[in-house]
Amino acid sequence: MRLGAETMQIAYYPGCTLHASSGLYDIQCKKVLKQLGLELKEIEDWNCCGATSASKTDDFLAVALPARNLGIADASGLSEMLIPCSSCYNRTLVSQKILSEDSELTNKINTELSKKVQGKIRISSILDILVSKANSGEIAEKSIKKWEGLKPACYYGCLLTRFPRDIQISDNIENPQGMETVCKALGAEPIDWGYKTDCCGASAAINDTDTSLFLMSQIIKDALARGANCFVTTCPMCQMNMDMYQDQVCERYGIQKKLPVFFITELLGIAMGFTPQEMQIDRHFIDSLGLLKELKPI
Amino acid sequence: MSSSVLQFRPEFSQPLIQEVMNRSGQNILACYQCRRCAAGCPVGEETGVTPDRLIRMIIFGEREEVLNNLLVWKCVACYTCGTRCPNNIQTARINETLKQLSKEAHIEPLLPKVSTFHDAFLRSTSHFGRVNELEFIVLYEMQNAKRELKHGGGWKAVAAEMKNQAKLGISMVKKKRMHFRLDKIKRLSEIKRLYKKAKDEAGG
Repeated sequence: MRLGAETMQIAYYPGCTLHASSGLYDIQCKKVLKQLGLELKEIEDWNCCGATSASKTDDFLAVALPARNLGIADASGLSEMLIPCSSCYNRTLVSQKILSEDSELTNKINTELSKKVQGKIRISSILDILVSKANSGEIAEKSIKKWEGLKPACYYGCLLTRFPRDIQISDNIENPQGMETVCKALGAEPIDWGYKTDCCGASAAINDTDTSLFLMSQIIKDALARGANCFVTTCPMCQMNMDMYQDQVCERYGIQKKLPVFFITELLGIAMGFTPQEMQIDRHFIDSLGLLKELKPI
Repeated sequence: MSSSVLQFRPEFSQPLIQEVMNRSGQNILACYQCRRCAAGCPVGEETGVTPDRLIRMIIFGEREEVLNNLLVWKCVACYTCGTRCPNNIQTARINETLKQLSKEAHIEPLLPKVSTFHDAFLRSTSHFGRVNELEFIVLYEMQNAKRELKHGGGWKAVAAEMKNQAKLGISMVKKKRMHFRLDKIKRLSEIKRLYKKAKDEAGG
């Protein structure tokens, strides 16, 4: 749906995290995408996707919980839905795929829903959208500042490129380049490294902390060894985990230097002229304003 | 595996193989032990058992060892093994199935906290339709404390856990990452019905 010449509406599923501990990402997505001509229409009365917990313990809920959101999105009249959280994105896409192949299950779930799954809505990750805006030149056009000197380790994590079902994505599974494309459009110099799609263990952080800290230690060590001065991610689970637990990881594994963990929307927002306060970068655990002051994006 | 010599007895193995294959949808018989999964498994070093070993155990019909396996509980569901498998076997899906089988068999999980975590998450979702992070953590910690007092480390372990969580909680409040508002959906009855159906599905 085009509004005037500039703004297009797309459906938006924030998911629980963007309404709670990663509220900053919700605000950033809305502000940054508005600059790029997209108005996010949050779908009404959405529910939790069930995340890793449903997929690990309950096969029915793992499909049924995202299905309700798919039905609501299908009824919205919009053709595309943005899901910024990698976990929600993965689970919703998998649910849609399973339902498209299993009409019996679809009927079983649809009988309980006021808005039935029709299988129409196209699910997009935030990178799907940003990469096309980078390739079209819109990102460079809207950026009034350049991120010179920023050497991000683009961190994708598990769920943005890997699925438990056969789902095709446009990027390379083992060595994706979408985030690098966006970072380069902002004048940053993303590093080449080996842990960009490794798991940080976010879903284990609370219940199996040792495993999660170990996984993060490897990711942080490689990023440092390759000369990164920050992480960039699109996943609120990765951001929270790598940011909140980084002190503990560094202490346990004797890592001297700490790296800010940026959401990709923060790099975009600063380049577009928003202040760090408008982007709420002060809500990071690892100090990120220091690097901003040092680099002074101009 | 504890026995020194493994014997393959098809009639002994068949029930477990079939059950795992049917429920996980994974064709484990296609595994030819190339170990690409093992090379990519982020927790393999810790568990000692990698996806290829687990598949081998299932094929040998070693139900008890399969269900009491650290990989089943340590698996972070990163799907690396499945993405790299030349035969499209998604061991993370097998681990999900094995968790459910062990629950149905009333086997105490090797990592009880993992199981408690996911149960608390889904319970919180059923209450409001969305996860309330604060309620979820309280549900999880209460369940943990109950278990520690009954079987585990007693008050000392509970106090250590609480201290750790409180520290994280305080840092979240400081960074305005703690969320106190109650987010409840309107048509919660639909979620309740889906949960009921899930229960029926698992029972039937």
